[in-house]
Amino acid sequence: MEENVFGTNDPNPRTTATATADNTTVDPTLQRKNAAMLERLSNRHQSRLAGKSDPDSTNLNAPPSFESTESFLSKFSQSKVSIESCLSQLHQQQENRIPGSDSNRKTDMEKISLSISDLEKFVAENSYFLPSYEVRTCLKTIADLKQSLDDVTSLVIPKKKFSFKNKPSKKPTNPVQEDTVSEKNLNVGSSDLGFKHLIMSPGFRDKEKEVLVKEFDKSDTQGQNGEFTLSGLRDCEVRLKGCLRALFMDRLTNCRIYVGAVMGSVLIEGAEGCVFILASHQIRIHNAKNCDFYLRVRSRPIIEDCNGVKFAPYCLNYERIEKDLEEANLGEETANWANVDDFRWLRAVQSPNWSILPNNERIQTVDISIS
Amino acid sequence: MRILMVGLDNSGKTTIVLKINGEDTSVINPTLGFNIKTINYQKYILNIWDVGGQKTIRSYWRNYFEQTDGLVWVVDSSDLRRLDDCKHELDNLLKEERLSGASLLIFANKQDIQGALSPEEIAKVLNLDAMDKTRHWRIVGCSAYTGEGLLEGFDWLVQDIASRIYMLD
Repeated sequence: MEENVFGTNDPNPRTTATATADNTTVDPTLQRKNAAMLERLSNRHQSRLAGKSDPDSTNLNAPPSFESTESFLSKFSQSKVSIESCLSQLHQQQENRIPGSDSNRKTDMEKISLSISDLEKFVAENSYFLPSYEVRTCLKTIADLKQSLDDVTSLVIPKKKFSFKNKPSKKPTNPVQEDTVSEKNLNVGSSDLGFKHLIMSPGFRDKEKEVLVKEFDKSDTQGQNGEFTLSGLRDCEVRLKGCLRALFMDRLTNCRIYVGAVMGSVLIEGAEGCVFILASHQIRIHNAKNCDFYLRVRSRPIIEDCNGVKFAPYCLNYERIEKDLEEANLGEETANWANVDDFRWLRAVQSPNWSILPNNERIQTVDISIS
Repeated sequence: MRILMVGLDNSGKTTIVLKINGEDTSVINPTLGFNIKTINYQKYILNIWDVGGQKTIRSYWRNYFEQTDGLVWVVDSSDLRRLDDCKHELDNLLKEERLSGASLLIFANKQDIQGALSPEEIAKVLNLDAMDKTRHWRIVGCSAYTGEGLLEGFDWLVQDIASRIYMLD
């Protein structure tokens, strides 16, 4: 506890700084210390109530008594300039190979990193009165600063950067099919974790101009109880029949995706010019552009960072589809396909990013019975 | 006891809270904002703050840090592609001073799904062994779908918090 530095029960007051001047009696000293402690406690309490962090940890965190955009911005830009100058100093030292101990530089970088997070905190704590434009600009600045720090860091300690990856010791108990193209579809920055070579979930990856068909039935463990992934597809038609537990999709372009029943959730990250016909319990759509979604979903579909996405009711058919939907608790139309939540548009008026697909633009029921 | 539930979107935070409270989990909307649930658990009262995990609203997590006794980080063990995202967000969270004293329970959720990583594998990917030695933490495999593992996780969390509170008294 920080409060203990005021040592109310210190047996020898002479040892504490506040007590040295007082030789006559002990009581006033104790009283003074007591008062100081009480005041500090009450300050801390106040700051806690206000939801702010400890006021004297750094000056950026001081309670924002101003609530003025102008003084916020001036404080913000001061910190920004000072961080930038620290960064460029480090950068130059490195470029000119000025000798200096690595550990010193490391501490410097840690300090910069701390200043950046303080700055971030500062923005967050004041965001309630700032215009949203300023908040966005500030957050962008912070992201840039972090990037610069990363750049400098990789200059100073290039080899240590991903040291935690060197432990690919144990293999998975059930070997999953080795896909020769699997290396290619690892996302940027993911290979450093060094585990995706070992484990690759079932799915269709990196295909072009193909019709991809997969049927899940009861005996098929990867369907009924498993997940499936569609990744990096272009100009493809995908037909997934039967029930599956979870479906992940990313980087799809000009594809038609027809899916039976998903008993869990569907997650889409990155799609353009696609048509989806999906039935599932939950659907989350991120970074989709100009796509049509024909959905049956038990909860509200959500979109984030999308635009030009349109929604209509589910319209798929194949032999036994009713049974599959029934089994996955998707037998009934819920009308949720039209209750879209846009996480980028938290206002009462309709989001400009999505709309209901007009009747005359909707496709007919798609029948994928014969494959 | 104040418990904060966080993790990426689609990891199953809301489902876990509802399941442990014995509620229906068949229809759950993705969380836009947060839910608060007060649960009597053993002899304690838990205030569970279940905060949405969508990218757009992750920056608001910090508004819920104050006075958190226990932190529950939920991982979708079947979402291999976003595990680095998951690691990154967790690392950021653990740097937060206001959470430094909180006990950390990591739920490796969706163990019922074929192809999900085991808790041990998740621990390795998230590099949990490298965590600050003063942190009380534990990883537990679970399935919010079947309920498996949830009580084990919460039992540990509640006991750990309780023992810390007694020590302070």
